[in-house]
Amino acid sequence: MTGAVISGLIASSLAVLVVRRRSSAVVLVAVQSFVLGLYALTQHPRTSAALAVTGAIVIVKALLLPALLLLTVRRAPKERPIATELPALTRLMIPLALALALERMIPRFGFTSAGVEHTAVAMLALGVLTAVVRRAVIFQALGFLVAENGIYLAGLSLAGGLPVFIEMGLVFDLVVVVSVAAAFAAKIHERLGSGDSSLLEALHD
Amino acid sequence: MIDALLIAVVAAPPLGALLVRVPRSPGGADCVNIVGASISAALALTASVIGVLHGADGLRGSWFVLDRAGAAFLAVTAVVGWCSAVVSPAYLAGQGKGMFTARRARAWYYTAFDLFWAALLALVLVKNLGVAWLLVEATTGTSALLVAYSGAKNALEAGWKYLVLTTFGLAVAVLGILLLFAGLAPHGGGLSTLDWQSIARHAGGLPHQTALFALIMILAGLAAKIGWAPVHNWLPDAHSEAPPPVSALLSAALLPTVMLIAWRVVLTLGAAGEGHLAHDLIIAFGLASLAVAIPFLWRPMAWKRLLAYSSLEHMGILALGIGFGSPLASIGVVVHLAGHALAKSLGFYTAMPLLRNDPSTGWRPPRGLARRSTPVAVGVGVSLGTLSGLPPSPLFISELLILAGGVAAQQPVIVALAAVLMALGFLGLAHTLIEALAGEARGHRWKSGRAVRITARLTAGVSLGLVALTVSAYLLVEAGIGASLMGGVA
Repeated sequence: MTGAVISGLIASSLAVLVVRRRSSAVVLVAVQSFVLGLYALTQHPRTSAALAVTGAIVIVKALLLPALLLLTVRRAPKERPIATELPALTRLMIPLALALALERMIPRFGFTSAGVEHTAVAMLALGVLTAVVRRAVIFQALGFLVAENGIYLAGLSLAGGLPVFIEMGLVFDLVVVVSVAAAFAAKIHERLGSGDSSLLEALHD
Repeated sequence: MIDALLIAVVAAPPLGALLVRVPRSPGGADCVNIVGASISAALALTASVIGVLHGADGLRGSWFVLDRAGAAFLAVTAVVGWCSAVVSPAYLAGQGKGMFTARRARAWYYTAFDLFWAALLALVLVKNLGVAWLLVEATTGTSALLVAYSGAKNALEAGWKYLVLTTFGLAVAVLGILLLFAGLAPHGGGLSTLDWQSIARHAGGLPHQTALFALIMILAGLAAKIGWAPVHNWLPDAHSEAPPPVSALLSAALLPTVMLIAWRVVLTLGAAGEGHLAHDLIIAFGLASLAVAIPFLWRPMAWKRLLAYSSLEHMGILALGIGFGSPLASIGVVVHLAGHALAKSLGFYTAMPLLRNDPSTGWRPPRGLARRSTPVAVGVGVSLGTLSGLPPSPLFISELLILAGGVAAQQPVIVALAAVLMALGFLGLAHTLIEALAGEARGHRWKSGRAVRITARLTAGVSLGLVALTVSAYLLVEAGIGASLMGGVA
């Protein structure tokens, strides 16, 4: 994997942390998924069946799921800026520092390429941190996609790739989770008049 | 023959979900779902009996493994699923528009319920870690919708929290599984590389670093789904806000079933020389869960929320049993799992008449039930008495077995700590039980409605089941089958 692709994947993950518009973030993640899909197509000598599976994954992750999230954004009332959201610089710096610290702390743990290993861990961490620092539920759902792209990248680095059943299963699960997340986002908008997850903090002991 | 039976076990609930859409009336949909659930449960119980009788190595096929522990988990999942299906019409009768439009709400409820149940039944049976992960993730999607079914603000919060936390937890687990797959790839590289037996056979050849990270990531990820402390934040909210039949399925079937996967991971990856670490990690989760849960069992708390913290306590006890790993502790785990499932699901079912007759039990503890409704008081008494570990309940026996198993595993300090925490938990729940039954009553005596009648029947059935379980605990110890309970994977 080239340094440019790795930089692009990390940069798009970081951009999701700072962009203001939900639709821009969805497009960023769609592009990230598309780039990963192209990279997958260039990997390993592939049979036509494997190419079809990769193509299906690209269509689902770079087209269908972003389209579903864009539809959810469009159908929701126009979002006001969320008051409890951290400033953009803080949203960027805290996850960046944590992801870098994680990358330094965790030793090599077994994938063939160090670059891919670090990028996959960083994307998983940035996906989780997106859900932590962003308040809008759509951004938290995008965190799933960023984290899953990190896992997909790790899967691509395996010699011979992942079994087709697991690859398809991962995508199916992603479709289920993102669809449910979109249903939640729509219902939360309908119920609260906002997609601000900080309004959902009534339950505690 | 067994292959076809097990396929039918997994396929029956989704088929029921399809058929539920045929009748035009709500009553018709209820009937179809109960008939479908009865067939599914009968098939699963038949498979369980075959699994128990087959022998120590368990049954193995192209996609399944069914040993004695798996058979017990399958039976528990079947019984709890059936009971939840039977009580669901009483819950749905009082519901209008929620997460779904009023016209479609019932069909969606049954669809999500049946798919969730099918995923749980399949999860017990599959012989492959990768497929098991996919099924665990599938349970998240369906059950999150059920948690938020009422559409209330708190239910949406609980469902969303559950979806986010468990999905990210499972993302960590899948990275661990990929790592394991990378390490084991030289022994095949196909899907079967992640078969339980393949992992157990080849884990010894894994590089230390790979085995260590895979184990930690997989267990930490599964812990988020099981609700072990410190990654338990979703559990009290989801269990207290979900519809009672779904809360029962979450607490009595989902958590233990995912724990079965963690148990299998400990046993199979333990062969990589990380056995001690795996057991220590599980024991740490167990003690942390007990320590976090106990203070809440002492606080006056809404009924369902109290049951949720009790789930955290019991998942901790089960983790200790798995962590000790001795034959006695293993028998204790299986008995505890079944006893907890029966008592906890009864507790959640009693929440239906409780909340309907006294909505204040949604935010404060129930009191003086003996003077307000005898069937509900008996249901609460049987449930809470059992969950507290009151002798001679099966949970008293199973807790003793787990502690004795800990002594046998030469873990006296952990056993002492656990015994103190369990005793504190018992006192907390016993105090709540006395207040709930004999405390000062609020309001007048309740009428005997549909939910009360169902609770009375379930209480009778569960009581019989608990007595049978106490007897079977003695028989299991006598038979000395603790070491062979997980014979299908180890």
